[in-house]
Amino acid sequence: MESVLETIKLEMVYRVGKVDVPALRGVDLQAGAGEYVAIMGPSGCGKSTFLHIVGGMLQPTAGQVMIDGEDLTRMTDSQRTDLRRRKIGFVFQRFNLFPTLSAEGNLKLAERIHHKSNGSDSKRRRDLLRLLKLEDKIHHKPLEMSGGEQQRVALARAVINRPAILLADEPTGNLDSENSQIVLDMLRDLNKEFGQTIVMITHNPEAALRADRIIEMRDGHVVGSRRNQ
Amino acid sequence: MNSLVVANVKQRPLRTALSMAGVALGVILVVLVAGLVRGVSRDTTQRQMNVDSELRVYIDNVNIASGANPLQMPRRYADAIKNGVQPTPEYPDITPRPPVAGVKEVTPVGLWVQNSVGGIGFETVEGIDWESLTKTTGLHIIEGRPINDSRQPEPEFEVIVDRYYTEVNKGLDGKPVRIGSTITALNREFTVVGIYEPSVMSRIKIPLYTMQELTGGADIADNCSFLMVKCERPELADEVRETIKKYYPGLKVIRTDEIPALYSQGLVGLDIFLNVVIAVSVIISTMIILLAMYTTIIERTREIGILKGLGASKPFIVWAIEKEATLISALGVAVGFLISVAGKYFIEASTRLRIDLEWRWLLLGAGMGLVCGLAGALYPAIRAANLDPVEAISYE
Ligand SMILES: Nc1ncnc2c1ncn2[C@@H]1O[C@H](COP(=O)(O)OP(=O)(O)OP(=O)(O)O)[C@@H](O)[C@H]1O
Ligand SMILES: [Mg+2]
Repeated sequence: MESVLETIKLEMVYRVGKVDVPALRGVDLQAGAGEYVAIMGPSGCGKSTFLHIVGGMLQPTAGQVMIDGEDLTRMTDSQRTDLRRRKIGFVFQRFNLFPTLSAEGNLKLAERIHHKSNGSDSKRRRDLLRLLKLEDKIHHKPLEMSGGEQQRVALARAVINRPAILLADEPTGNLDSENSQIVLDMLRDLNKEFGQTIVMITHNPEAALRADRIIEMRDGHVVGSRRNQ
Repeated sequence: MNSLVVANVKQRPLRTALSMAGVALGVILVVLVAGLVRGVSRDTTQRQMNVDSELRVYIDNVNIASGANPLQMPRRYADAIKNGVQPTPEYPDITPRPPVAGVKEVTPVGLWVQNSVGGIGFETVEGIDWESLTKTTGLHIIEGRPINDSRQPEPEFEVIVDRYYTEVNKGLDGKPVRIGSTITALNREFTVVGIYEPSVMSRIKIPLYTMQELTGGADIADNCSFLMVKCERPELADEVRETIKKYYPGLKVIRTDEIPALYSQGLVGLDIFLNVVIAVSVIISTMIILLAMYTTIIERTREIGILKGLGASKPFIVWAIEKEATLISALGVAVGFLISVAGKYFIEASTRLRIDLEWRWLLLGAGMGLVCGLAGALYPAIRAANLDPVEAISYE
């Protein structure tokens, strides 16, 4: 399988005052096109750090990150921003919608940033909203939606521009089990119907079981990788 | 304008209103003060033009060296310009000329420069022909009486002065100048017989005849220094000037309003004041927008983080914030215009001030408001664009 994401000896050391805090100590990881990968591990083991680096939000201390054939670690800050625009979709534990914009406004803003010009793909938008069961919420603002609905809008926004990889950091962390189920179903459907590559961090073993593969991290290392049935 | 910008502006109505008010205040200050300065100076110039004559006529090629007699212009030119001229037995070679069309009145003026009474600087004394001077200018007596023409056998030296002169000068008795005071002019003692208004040219005016007598004798030459020509209507000034030049090539004619010293002096201070007002307005508007946008950036740190997460470039973020500031400034400019216009009518209705709302100043006010908005938002915008994406997106 052709790999969309590959990290080689990825290291990250945070400097807090005069103290070095190692967060990643050489992470080698691959994810193929259309693969759905879950990352698990105890708190503080470096999962979010890994995701931020892979998404181009953070420059690693050492190592290499290849995204869809492009070496992220050799890029300038603005080149990484541009890669993020073209190839990455983010979903966070907090829903992170623009509170002043409706669901549709949030999607259109993402499209505007992505296309630079004002062209937008209304069919894609409709397909997504149907898949995420959000058709009747399109004109609602975030405060007028439930947490599950907000996270689904955030999900729609993250994939509306067909990113090469969807990066999700505990997307169900703030949701009750019912809404968690819905969001996990959505991720599964996005992966199946659109062939969306997904890397998801989760603390929830049940959620991890929905992925193709589970990667176990500990103390800045990858300590295990197993395939789900 | 996109939905995010509009939504943000609506999100915080009070902040938007305050920022708009800041920009509007700057616009109002500039537009109204500029209008006031223009209005006042136009008013002053107009008032001056109402009382002054439109033209001054000098004799050409007379170089008045210091100490020479300043009365070098034959007074008969005044009569020639007003009534025309025919050869006479006395001057048989004169080319006949008709009266200059459009001339209402001409008056001869003698000008004498003397050391100021206190010894510092100079002051001028004018020799005038009261009769024609009052027809040429709006001059009138507010206290006392006019000077006589002093042609009686035993001339008494009489003088009239303006109000300002009485306020700042003392007579020979050491007391403030009043009717009956004695002052020195042309090294003689003159009695103040009247106070006139308004102030036109020299503050001390004596009869031209007396000036002629004291500078060589009126019987030798009936001369003056220049003529003041009042036109029937101010618009005729250029026409009259051309005609005088044509009929009498030896004369030099100057429009009174082109003599800068006469009209601009009082306005220099106002121009400086106007510049100060513009500078203060620029600072106020810029600071208010800066503060408003800065608090906005802090409040929206997480949203900026989301934008960055979505891959928005630095220019995109700077531009989004600048657009918001521009929208607020534009609204502020519009409000400023409305209030300025209302203010103009209110001030003109309730005071005697005049305000000229000139396009130039409206445009300057608008440009200033927008530029201040852009400039004030620039620092917050650049800060926002340079926020660390991870920190911004996890900001509480
Ligand atoms: N900005 C930062 N400055 C300094 N140290 C940091 C910073 N961010 C993370 N760290 C440290 O790096 C290590 C890894 O943090 P990270 O957030 O990646 O862990 P995580 O696996 O996502 O944990 P959790 O499951 O609690 O979200 C931790 O020890 C953390 O304290
Ligand atoms: Mg984390």
